Amino acid sequence: MNNLILKVCTKVLFTPIILFGLYVQFHGDFGPGGGFQAGVIVAAAFILYAMVFGVDKCKIIMPSKLNFFLLVLGAFLYGFVGVVGLILGEPYLSYDLLGSNKQSGQHIGILLVEFGVGLTVCNVMICLFYSFANFKFGRNKND
Amino acid sequence: MMFLAILFAFSVCFLLILIRLIAGKTTYDRILAANSIGTIVVLAISIHGFYMGRPEFIDISIVYALINFIGTVAVLKLFDKGKLGDK
Repeated sequence: MNNLILKVCTKVLFTPIILFGLYVQFHGDFGPGGGFQAGVIVAAAFILYAMVFGVDKCKIIMPSKLNFFLLVLGAFLYGFVGVVGLILGEPYLSYDLLGSNKQSGQHIGILLVEFGVGLTVCNVMICLFYSFANFKFGRNKND
Repeated sequence: MMFLAILFAFSVCFLLILIRLIAGKTTYDRILAANSIGTIVVLAISIHGFYMGRPEFIDISIVYALINFIGTVAVLKLFDKGKLGDK
């Protein structure tokens, strides 16, 4: 799209959207928020960029390989924190032994698991947009 | 009491925009009406949060405004170009 207002708005809004996503991510213990919502908000910044500047430009700042790597890394982080609890002799995904005492252990565990969830959700959303962005819609089927 | 009055004014505005949405002549009128409904909802969420004594609702209204903006851009681009990917 060759709209100057939209381009400037996107450039100005890109960083604050990601900052707000991180706020929702790490403030999720006290207010509304958490990993899923934060992932979607961060992905919204990339999707807006891809819509205004084109998917090719967006693949420069978020290449498909990095996208897949971060997608898998988030899910791996989630599973890894669970397995650490299993190795230390507790049930799967129990956070009690991760820190020096019970409370800090739960804090670290929830933070890591939520971060993994956020990373995965964000990259799944970007991956879905990359997959479906060039899908033709409706009226100009012939060309 | 003041917050209730503001919420009532918002509902009146909402009804007026709904009439525009249903009776809209072109597609762009309808898109604009849907966007305005989004704006009204953002304001109403904030005011309702303060009325109920939970100012954390401002977070939700910011997210709503963001999604509203991106959704409008997406719909307009889809009607303009036919697909979302290219420049």
